[in-house]
Amino acid sequence: MLMMKRLMTKYVPGMLTCEQVDRFLYDFHEDTLTYSERVKFKLHLSMCKECKTYVRDYKNTIRLSKEGIPTAEPLTKVPEELVQAIIKSRKIDS
Amino acid sequence: MKNLSLPSSLAVDDENNLIDKLIKGDDQAFESLIRNYSAKMYSIARSFFNNDDDAQECLQKSFIQVFENIHSFRKEARLTTWLHRITVNCALMMIRQQQRHKTLPLEDYFQHYNDYGERTAFTDNSASNLEQLFELKETKTTLNEIIRSLPEKYCNVLLLRDIQELSTNETAMILAISTAAVKTQLHRARLFLKEALKTVSEQAEYNNKGN
Repeated sequence: MLMMKRLMTKYVPGMLTCEQVDRFLYDFHEDTLTYSERVKFKLHLSMCKECKTYVRDYKNTIRLSKEGIPTAEPLTKVPEELVQAIIKSRKIDS
Repeated sequence: MKNLSLPSSLAVDDENNLIDKLIKGDDQAFESLIRNYSAKMYSIARSFFNNDDDAQECLQKSFIQVFENIHSFRKEARLTTWLHRITVNCALMMIRQQQRHKTLPLEDYFQHYNDYGERTAFTDNSASNLEQLFELKETKTTLNEIIRSLPEKYCNVLLLRDIQELSTNETAMILAISTAAVKTQLHRARLFLKEALKTVSEQAEYNNKGN
């Protein structure tokens, strides 16, 4: 499989290397690749187990990082006592 | 009696009116500002700290900065972007004062390639299922520590883009860097986290085997 990948990378026009996949990864995730780039990216993934795992773990990392930071819950409003404290601090400040 | 209830995202004209009133020192406008914009500012502040107390202090300090500097606000940027920028700067100032941003070296965590452009450092660690890993509470704590140990520029971009889900443009404006720098730094932060998680996963697997 490794030899096949190496041969395809060398002889198939536009075939990406793993390194090039890495360079495209950010835009792939942001969905900002062109159609042609996206096809090449997916073609590489279809024949490269390492990159497939790499991309899967990249996506999982982004999703899971939100769980590592407990803040991420969206607040609809801050507590009233905090609002009052800020209003008071402005009056003191001025 | 004026109606103080404003939508959380104001149209540009409404925002300009609000800014004009703020510059004139209108008390009701300030209260509107606090009530309508503080939730997102608090959320941003909270992502920089592990506790509510620091986040609340940061929010208060941020509004003091807003009160003192609203007259110098230029309407070229959205008010929200300016407020978020002040919040991030206050958070970073507090973190620096607390001197608790210990930086990890990143270089060892990035991929290496051979002459064919193929990955040379790869382990098909199918056992390192990140989702399973995150069922462990201690993993979340570890990840939190790793994120906060990232070099400041990587940590900031990650918090604003991936945690707060701000756009690339707004993140760039808040941090006063280019959108290209946002992309590069965010990508590097994500790759670092990914590799750090793999290490955590391997450690967890090793511990399980030991038990």
